[in-house]
Amino acid sequence: MMKKKRYVFLWLLVCTLIWGSSVALAQKTQNAALAEPVVVSPADKAAIESFEKQVKGYIALRNKVRENAPKLSKESTPEQIHAYRTALELSLRNARPNAKRGEFFQPTTADFIRRTLKTEFQGKDRQELREQIFETETQGVVVRVNYPYAQSAELSEMPATLLAKLPQLPKELRYRFVGRNMLLVDRESDVIIDFMPDALP
Amino acid sequence: MRRTHIHHFLFAFLISAIVFIAAPAQTQNGNSTAAAKSHASAPLKLTLPMKDGSVKFAVIGDTGSGTEQQREVGDMMIKYHSLFPFEFVLMMGDNLYGGEAPADFEKKFSAPYKALLDQKVKFYATLGNHDQALQVNYTNFNMDGKEYYKFKKGNIAFYSLNSNYMETKQVKWLEDELGRETAEWKVMFFHHPPYSSAKKHGSDGQLREVVEPIFLKYGVNVVLSGHDHVYERIKPQKGIYYFVSGAGGKLRTGDIDGRSGLTEKSYDRDMHFMLFEVAGNEMYFQAISRTGETIDSGVITRK
Repeated sequence: MMKKKRYVFLWLLVCTLIWGSSVALAQKTQNAALAEPVVVSPADKAAIESFEKQVKGYIALRNKVRENAPKLSKESTPEQIHAYRTALELSLRNARPNAKRGEFFQPTTADFIRRTLKTEFQGKDRQELREQIFETETQGVVVRVNYPYAQSAELSEMPATLLAKLPQLPKELRYRFVGRNMLLVDRESDVIIDFMPDALP
Repeated sequence: MRRTHIHHFLFAFLISAIVFIAAPAQTQNGNSTAAAKSHASAPLKLTLPMKDGSVKFAVIGDTGSGTEQQREVGDMMIKYHSLFPFEFVLMMGDNLYGGEAPADFEKKFSAPYKALLDQKVKFYATLGNHDQALQVNYTNFNMDGKEYYKFKKGNIAFYSLNSNYMETKQVKWLEDELGRETAEWKVMFFHHPPYSSAKKHGSDGQLREVVEPIFLKYGVNVVLSGHDHVYERIKPQKGIYYFVSGAGGKLRTGDIDGRSGLTEKSYDRDMHFMLFEVAGNEMYFQAISRTGETIDSGVITRK
């Protein structure tokens, strides 16, 4: 009888340990995804602040430009969507006629991002992710500042764990990969705002 | 003489082996049915119970090719709608391939599903890797202007996520919403499959790493996705039921890797759509091919 009780106790203990470790593992993974961007040095912090300042400036300009675009509701027709997108794309490109590569991804920001990408894509399990990005069908995309991303091209999936570590963007902007290049893109008009060549290790 | 016979036998064996290996995966559990190129329709057969007051909906994925085959899937859906009047359709993303001019919306969405739209069937879309952000504003996709959103029907909460860009804000929104969710059933739908046996893309491990712990923590019951152009019902993973339904307008014949160990049932020989019926603690499902054959069916019981 005593022996049986001991057996039941041991069995319960094993089950509890397995359950506990799986919950802890789940919690750990989730926290990793929700982690704040990793700032490793004051220089990195300054680089991110400089990037965020550039982004804020862009959003201010964009808001001004958007006032002239036709209004878009959440119950729009394809024609209204097309008119809005075309007008926004044209206005944004006209508003930054001298836009150059590196305005947002300045050397210190680019350095921080490159290091972040290198860390994120380390390890065997990340090889699959790299391959996935390179497999994205981006034929027709001209990687050029102030040019629109080709509508017919596929969009690369951006890893959640990476997005958590990069400088956070407002809803109007997106990071995107085209081969080894990392782009900063206007979400609605798809105009390429800036890009970093050979960003992916 | 004997050596020649042995050579003939070995040659025949080799040819048979090649034919066997090269053949597209059959549906599991011995139910191999429709042929991809057959245009003949099978007699309609509903396996769903049609209970009073149940929530009835359909699922399609990777539809926006604008091809004749996409239209044929749409035609089959309207035929089944007459038997099973589903109220709405969930779209698994890649709603419009290769361009989003007004003519594309017409050719790749409004025309193939015109009969359903005319009968006031609502479509709820999610974004795929071929979809532009402004689709969220399209009235017939009912996305409320958002890349991720939720809505309720009966005792079910449906969450549409943007798996192409799972940023921190979205993850936090998901946690917050699930944290206060009161619906009995929690159904997720998004483009990239956390589990898949397809050879082209397969399981999206990095996405799963982020979303699966949340699904487990908050008791998500069912996850629907597309991206791989096949049908697959995954063996329950940690108590969650996963479906891949990504062949509503594109097909990748023979793409299922039967050795993945994930498959409960699969089908990669023709396009398909799915029907669901939720009544109390039971969710009934039926997967139907472009030609109208039932390729899978069953029931999930909520614990």
